Amino acid sequence: MRTEELTLNLGPSHPSTHGVCRLVVRLDGEVVTHVEPVIGHLHRGIEKMAENRTYLQVVPLTDRLDYVGSMYANWAYCRAVERLAGIRVPERAEYLRVIVCELQRIASHMMGIGSSAADTGATSAFLYAFAQRDLVIDLFEALCGARLTYNYVRPGGVAFDLPEGWVEQCRSFVAQHPSAMLEIDELFFGNVIARARLKGIGVLDADTAVAWGVSGPSARGSGVDWDLRRDDPYSVYPRFDFDVVVGSNGDAYDRARVRLWECIESCRIIEQALDQLEPGPVMAEGLPRLLAPRPGDAYDHIESARGSLGVYLVSDGSVRPYRMKVRSPAFCNLAVLPLIATGHTLSDLLVILGSLDPVFGEVDR
Amino acid sequence: MSALLLGIAWGIAAVLAIAGGAVIGVWWERKVAGHIQLRYGPLQIGPAGSLQMLADVPKLLFKEDIVPSAADKPLFKWAPLMVFAPVAASLAVIPFAAGWAPLDTSVGVLFFLAVPSLEVVAILVAAWSQRNTLAAIGGLRAASQMIAYEVPRALSVLPLVLLAGSLRPTAVLGAWQWWWMPLLSIGFIVYLIASIAEMNRGPFDLPEAESELVAGYFADYSGMRWAIFMMAEYGAMIAASLFAAATFLGGGWPFGGALGTAAIVLKAALLITVIMWVRWTFPRVRQDQLLRFCWTVLVPAALVQLVVVGVVLPWM
Amino acid sequence: MDVKRARPAVPPSVSGDAEDRMGLVKGAASLAKGLGITLKAGVSRPLTVRYPQQKVAVSPRWRGPLALRGVLGRDDIPLLKSASHAYNELIDGLYRSDRLPPCVGNCPANVDARGQAFLIADNRVAEAYELVRDRNILPGVLGRICHHPCETACKRNFYDEPVAIRPLHRFAYEEYRKIRHERISPLPRTQGKSVCVVGSGPSGLAAAYDLLKLGYRVVMYERERKPGGALNTGVPAYRLPRDVLYEEIGDIVGLGLELNTGVEVGKDVPLVELIREHDAVLLAVGLQQSRILPIPGTDAEGVVGALEFLWSANFKHEAGVRGKRVLVIGGGNVAVDVARCALRVGASEVKLACLESESEMPCHPWEIAEALDEGVVALCSLGPEEVLVRHGQVAGMRMRSCLSVFDETGRFAPKFGDETTDVPADVIVFAIGQAPKIDALVAGTELLVSGRGQLVVDGTLFTTSVPGVFACGEIVTGPGSAIGSIATGHEAATSIHRYLQGLPLDGDRVARPVPVYPKHAPADITNVEANRRRAVMPMADPEERASDFRQVELGLTRQEAMAEAMRCLRCESEVCVGCTFCARTCPDYAIKVERVDEAGARCLTRYDYDLSKCCYCGLCAEQCPTKALQHTGQYELSFWHRDLMVFDKGEMLRPPTGTRATGRDGVSPPGCPVPRREEP
Repeated sequence: MRTEELTLNLGPSHPSTHGVCRLVVRLDGEVVTHVEPVIGHLHRGIEKMAENRTYLQVVPLTDRLDYVGSMYANWAYCRAVERLAGIRVPERAEYLRVIVCELQRIASHMMGIGSSAADTGATSAFLYAFAQRDLVIDLFEALCGARLTYNYVRPGGVAFDLPEGWVEQCRSFVAQHPSAMLEIDELFFGNVIARARLKGIGVLDADTAVAWGVSGPSARGSGVDWDLRRDDPYSVYPRFDFDVVVGSNGDAYDRARVRLWECIESCRIIEQALDQLEPGPVMAEGLPRLLAPRPGDAYDHIESARGSLGVYLVSDGSVRPYRMKVRSPAFCNLAVLPLIATGHTLSDLLVILGSLDPVFGEVDR
Repeated sequence: MSALLLGIAWGIAAVLAIAGGAVIGVWWERKVAGHIQLRYGPLQIGPAGSLQMLADVPKLLFKEDIVPSAADKPLFKWAPLMVFAPVAASLAVIPFAAGWAPLDTSVGVLFFLAVPSLEVVAILVAAWSQRNTLAAIGGLRAASQMIAYEVPRALSVLPLVLLAGSLRPTAVLGAWQWWWMPLLSIGFIVYLIASIAEMNRGPFDLPEAESELVAGYFADYSGMRWAIFMMAEYGAMIAASLFAAATFLGGGWPFGGALGTAAIVLKAALLITVIMWVRWTFPRVRQDQLLRFCWTVLVPAALVQLVVVGVVLPWM
Repeated sequence: MDVKRARPAVPPSVSGDAEDRMGLVKGAASLAKGLGITLKAGVSRPLTVRYPQQKVAVSPRWRGPLALRGVLGRDDIPLLKSASHAYNELIDGLYRSDRLPPCVGNCPANVDARGQAFLIADNRVAEAYELVRDRNILPGVLGRICHHPCETACKRNFYDEPVAIRPLHRFAYEEYRKIRHERISPLPRTQGKSVCVVGSGPSGLAAAYDLLKLGYRVVMYERERKPGGALNTGVPAYRLPRDVLYEEIGDIVGLGLELNTGVEVGKDVPLVELIREHDAVLLAVGLQQSRILPIPGTDAEGVVGALEFLWSANFKHEAGVRGKRVLVIGGGNVAVDVARCALRVGASEVKLACLESESEMPCHPWEIAEALDEGVVALCSLGPEEVLVRHGQVAGMRMRSCLSVFDETGRFAPKFGDETTDVPADVIVFAIGQAPKIDALVAGTELLVSGRGQLVVDGTLFTTSVPGVFACGEIVTGPGSAIGSIATGHEAATSIHRYLQGLPLDGDRVARPVPVYPKHAPADITNVEANRRRAVMPMADPEERASDFRQVELGLTRQEAMAEAMRCLRCESEVCVGCTFCARTCPDYAIKVERVDEAGARCLTRYDYDLSKCCYCGLCAEQCPTKALQHTGQYELSFWHRDLMVFDKGEMLRPPTGTRATGRDGVSPPGCPVPRREEP
């Protein structure tokens, strides 16, 4: 029988491309023989726009890089600015940054796990995860007034101190979160259908992951024991006791479940940080409103929910960055998709894409 | 002539019944899904949002009827009705009361199994007429899935026929004893799973997989034509549940008369709720897993049930 | 009880069971478990709310569309009325509502620099002067010599350069002196009690002024022939022409002060007698003697204290240093004054030696910069070891290198190195601090004096060990600034008033802590437009000015002063002044501000804000120095039409309505509702 390959365009508007991504897929029946992610639909030229903005004005732009994890982009950018301008951040601000970023990790992973579930059709697990995400976002709203683009971490510290009652609200969230995670674990990761759908799908071995620059939970699912929080410690992370969650099989199941357990570890970090939090200023003293760092360059990276997120800044001594470059983990992680998705079925392709948890705001920038 | 008029009257009744069932079913499904997902579901229109569909139906009716320019227009336009018609027809043989069905025919069980199978053809027509890759994939998935699941579904009903000694649904209901329930439990579960697969609902909703194929075989439909597909799905769910209630679950038992009919509807509603519950709990299976599950689990299980009944029957 | 639940430990492998496939039974069990979880969720209470009926709780830090609270016009500017003692309460009120502008808050005496700038910009200079005089009793004097903590705190530091508050004091004085004879008349004496103030320095004058306003009879004694205390004897004339000082003190005399100069209390009049004659006595005698280090050779000819040196330089224009080499020991402002005076009285060479390194010097950086301009040589990180004496005459000083001045805790604990240097000098002036000399003053009274010769005083209520005797000024605080002394004078006057009225001294009295605002690194002003820059104070030429006692700062012209006053941002006044900082900081260019920026006619002509461009980052509201621009809680943008997306000034000023979801009445108006945060 003569057969012919079918070319299928998934996206750019497609429910499970997690943003605006177009996948050009060639299918042999249901089996994917070739897949090519076509990116750039969400390209806003943020790196170029930054060259026309003052250092402070860039912060809202970084919100829009990884809009599921705005705090990370804020923080990575601010760390680069601080390194460039030689600003010392007050300790309380560092703690607040750690707390909001671990909360952000939970919120972002809820999105990751939830979309892994939704990609396989388990909408309830998706919404249970989102219910948890909503609690985090309520905390963020109380903190800075915004639910998605926070503009909270600023060069030199953070924008606001904690409002009254926030610590208690945060503690109660952290107290209930692990049990909610275990419920999702049972509902979704323990389910026979989910296991059949996720296990052995999109296997990425550790060497390939390292070679392709995959980072974050996507790499840790493959057994790459690498976490910047522990291996290139920044901020006050060395003061906390936490485990780096590592998978072994490198399949979609491990990648997704690493995220689930990372959330529980994040709760541990938040509890320790809340215990150690002491009053003090949240913004470095003596900062001018208009930063003009000395000419030079700086790179700093942090462990975002998607992997190592780096920002490279070049200053020519003026009040605007001369050049900004974002090393986006989502972009690097997405690059392995053709490698690991070929040979799987169309249904699996989207599960694999979901398990890499890309956010296209960050991929396209 | 009078038979024809009666048939038309029954047809209209069936359409109205399915439409009403779908209106209630959609609301109920949204409520069930909502509460399962820690939400309220519809709230605004009517008490607890129960009149939501009254707002939705006119919206669907007045929506622009979009026909893709590349589509095969006559087929595209008629396909929804072709999907709907067999579902509506299958309602005819369901015994709503002891000894009474709208169409009390001696091959009623066969009719119930065979007529909805025609839906496959209609779905393929709908899928192919759109000239849409996603729809085509959805259509093919639907075809393979529905044809495959015909087998366990038919096999799971056979023990009933053996026990009753008749293919007439009213006769099956008449012969029903309470101990058939434990006896036929495997067959009932196989029937339920196969029916879910037949009606393309989760976890077997591959043909319309939201996250992969967007809407599968009715991807390009909009407005009322799309609503007819939805009605067909709800119709299939209602028919399968009513049939199960009227045969596997003993119809009106333990009541008789009008109360019995109410019991049938209640049992069917319960089954529909279970189907919804299942749909909102589980992830979706993959095409190869779906077929493997059919041939390696469901068909053997149905055969086991058949053998059990075949061994028990001679003792009777 | 351990409230923390045990945290689940990370499983050794997140991959779960070894086998990838579950058996039929385990699989069915997992399905049943899943159904159980969803069933449990189905019967439990939903987490969401019934949206419009049950409103979502909104964070008070909301970031909805922007609204303005007020716009600079001619009438609606909140103005602090001048010349009334209700002013104190007004300031306290500002404290309570957290609306104190930073300049007022950072001034020890809480001088209303914001009000001054407003009044000068509005061409009401005399009113500005009186407003300032209410707290800063000698605006013309302080306008020349103050170390202006207000300018350090000025919010314009963030943006470009601070407002020239001090030169504006001086400008206000220059204008006021033309009409002072019209505005000065004796205040009525309503209280029938009299207070005696010993010492006519800034603190004594401040207390006297407050007490006069309250209706007391105030009698003041001054040892010198001219009033002014340290302002008269210590401050070099090139900074403060004495006629300015005498004129402003003359104003206070004109208000009813009975000033007796040339009378030394304790010698000419015993203090006991004053205590008997008056209902209360205030000691504002200041610090009278220079401290000299206990090192070898200080008894030689040519070693003098700073106060003595300045006194003779100021009054005789001759300090016996003509053609000699002068070495000043100390790094404070007094040391710099001495060094600059020494140049002016003819020293051939002036060196200034201090322990601190150049960046740590305690004097104000502009002072040392001006001194260096005039030819003073600064020798930093050197500690005095021994005065070198030849034939009973100073020949120089042996200095030891100083490694660090302060220890880790910030206390004064100098560490010296091994290196020594000999600095040749003919005259050595010690400017390392002053000490009180009050033995004669307190003789015969029951006033307690500490072992170090200091008066025992309560530092907040300014009471001494004898009821009815109060003290203020440097005798309480130690060496400090003139404005700091004035602040203590105001507080002491409040204490005296309460004492004389029989009120409890502390009671409900609001302690006014002086907030210390952080110092700002200089903002980048490379591209700042000329009309945004601070007015530059014209200075006399360094070469010429170093030879005589002419004034170094020449003062602002009327036009410069008006323009400078208009640079004030009116912080915390909740009135938009059109500073355009919001428009400058908006990353999306969503705000357009235009204003007329002419002297005396500054107003906002356009304020547009494009809602459809806004990204709700909140930077504009954070930048707003006046807090006039605020976010609202109106989030339901579906109520807006596209063509209503541009708010103009009028719409943004609409009165507050509404909550997050709808208007206050439950219906969102079709226009542009601009809700305001509810006042607590």
